[in-house]
Amino acid sequence: MSELKDLTGAAVQSPVLSRVVTALGGLVLEVEEQNPQRGWVRVDPARVRESARILFGEQRARLATVSGLEVRDGIDILYHWALDADGYIVTVKALAARPSLAIDSVGQDLPACNWIEREMHDLLGAEFRGHPDMRRLLLADDWPEGVHPLRRGFQVPKVDATGRRETAAWAGAPDADAKARRFSAPKPGKPGRTLINIGPFHPLQEEAEFFQLYCEGETVVDMDVRLSYNHRGIEELSTRMTWDQVPFLVERVCGICSASHPWAYIRAVESIGDIHAPPRAEYLRTIVAELERLHSHMLWVGLAGHFLGYNTVWMWAWKYREPVMDILEVITGSRIHYANNRIGGVRRDVPPDLYPEIRKAVDSLKKPLEMLTNAVLDDPVLHARLKGVGVLTKEDALAWGVTGPTARGSGLAIDVRRDHPHGAYGEVDWQVITQPAGDVFAKAVVRCLECFEAIKIIEQCLDRIPEGPIAAEVSHIPPGEGCGNYEAPRGETFHYVRSDGGAGPVRHKIRAPSYVNIPSFRASCIGQHIADVSIILASVDPCYSCTERLARAYDAETRKPRYDFNDLVRMSQERTRRLRKQV
Amino acid sequence: MGWQTWGLKKSPWVYHVNVGACNNCDIEVLELLTPRYDVERLGIVLVGSPRHADALLVTGICTRQAEPRLRTVYEQTAKPCVVFCIGVCACTGGIFRHAYGFARPVDEVIREADPNAIIAYVPGCPPKPEAMIAGAAAALATL
Repeated sequence: MSELKDLTGAAVQSPVLSRVVTALGGLVLEVEEQNPQRGWVRVDPARVRESARILFGEQRARLATVSGLEVRDGIDILYHWALDADGYIVTVKALAARPSLAIDSVGQDLPACNWIEREMHDLLGAEFRGHPDMRRLLLADDWPEGVHPLRRGFQVPKVDATGRRETAAWAGAPDADAKARRFSAPKPGKPGRTLINIGPFHPLQEEAEFFQLYCEGETVVDMDVRLSYNHRGIEELSTRMTWDQVPFLVERVCGICSASHPWAYIRAVESIGDIHAPPRAEYLRTIVAELERLHSHMLWVGLAGHFLGYNTVWMWAWKYREPVMDILEVITGSRIHYANNRIGGVRRDVPPDLYPEIRKAVDSLKKPLEMLTNAVLDDPVLHARLKGVGVLTKEDALAWGVTGPTARGSGLAIDVRRDHPHGAYGEVDWQVITQPAGDVFAKAVVRCLECFEAIKIIEQCLDRIPEGPIAAEVSHIPPGEGCGNYEAPRGETFHYVRSDGGAGPVRHKIRAPSYVNIPSFRASCIGQHIADVSIILASVDPCYSCTERLARAYDAETRKPRYDFNDLVRMSQERTRRLRKQV
Repeated sequence: MGWQTWGLKKSPWVYHVNVGACNNCDIEVLELLTPRYDVERLGIVLVGSPRHADALLVTGICTRQAEPRLRTVYEQTAKPCVVFCIGVCACTGGIFRHAYGFARPVDEVIREADPNAIIAYVPGCPPKPEAMIAGAAAALATL
């Protein structure tokens, strides 16, 4: 076989890319090698399903996300496949050509691709042939049909005198069927089937959610979700900002991932410009990101405790989390939005006289964390309450492409920090925590144990942090495209950035970890008791602010309210109490 | 001062509405309840239904999808009801004011439902918990 050539005529260096291209065989039209961890392959658009089957089935790749990009001939659909075992990301491109802008749906074979195709249908107007469920996902109910915010020429309408963005002037007349194609129409209930609405006031980074559970007796038989309540349009906004402004925007994607999103974005941009941050900057990034993981996991432990009726755990976990918030404020100037990362390095140095303070803060966490972990591991009630509940099997975890503690709790040993080395993670000693069971208990254990790993990482970083500059000089970003990912507390956050050599990105795709973790509820919730649903929903940690939601249960026949959210929490707490007596 | 206002000032019950926030203001609101800030000692209690609420803590930019729901929530509250715009997003739209998802500022949505609404602003991204407590104290002092 002749040597594999890339677009420019150079031989492909990476054995991983060669292997993937060989496996894809006749599907491949073009190959482009960017660097030893990134490759791009263009395939025949008519055979995109076959490419997905080969990559998922044979190459064991994980579909990180899909992004769409309007080009002259249509819409380029970019399937980003992560080969975690090789630390490689290969992007498969296929063109959905004008005028139909249609391509075969991968979502009909692979659940992980379901939502993202719906999203691209909303935002770009691409059509996916054979997609099982092409309802509106992200845009609001009153958004005009046929207006796609990520298409060229889209302009945010002006604000009128009342402060409202006027939509009447927009192209695309409202059509009569639009409402039917959107969400909200409840499926016809069987007799005895109850519809329970959870939401919509339930905050979750880009996606506030509105769950509908279909129940027979106490068992959940089906569920559905409607997003958009929190859809702000960050990807479109990002293309109107400069390279250096975007980190401030993306840290506001999600408040608890405000070190992770900028880092993933910066990794993408640095891969376009072949920029390398100095070692000291990588250490400083690692320290802030791990402190964020600590505070995020402790926050989750507290909220999970609240859901189960252990309000003491909630108060304790949040009390012991305060030293982390204080130290973050000392290092970065803010408790939450750190504004610390920039392309090529970090903005603020940490003077060495602060090291003992950081050490003291993380050291003060060890004892309470041990206590909390033991409270989880040894409590017979928690065992009874969480073991075997909401099981996400390894097969389902793979098919839905889940990441982070949700995947590791199902026995999938994937972690961006180890698999795609960056920061200081390659130079310190730490472990990827996994648990095989896949139930809520396993996910709780993973999070508790990860706190100790985070402490280990921070302490070693403080021991080894080198002296030197904190940022590299960056003059401009050349044209090109790049992918960056980072292991946020909830899982992999993935950014795709494209540059035309100008002042800011021309396309910026953000995929937050909950975006892949939430749809897996369909696999883990169905067949469970209603009383368990609130903790199963919480088990992927979808940025819960738990107490404030509009949740009500309606009787499917009479439409009379039966339970509200407080009742559900009360039912969940009562079940714990009952079990406590039995155990 | 009527007994309703007296009751409100003595122990304001608050309901938290996220209409498109990044979660940070929400975490800081919950932070108020936990041991370090512990606003329950000041009589402030977070409640699970707007019908029980004396005050709304609104966070986020008010997205198109959330706008009609915000109005519904406000209409369900018992009056007088103080609306706190927590964070710069709820005050002005903040960094998202040019985004297509931004419907209109929170105060205008509330004023449309009730022209005499009492609205307090706590700017910051996110405001520190101390700032929220100071904002609440200032707003209650005006009643």
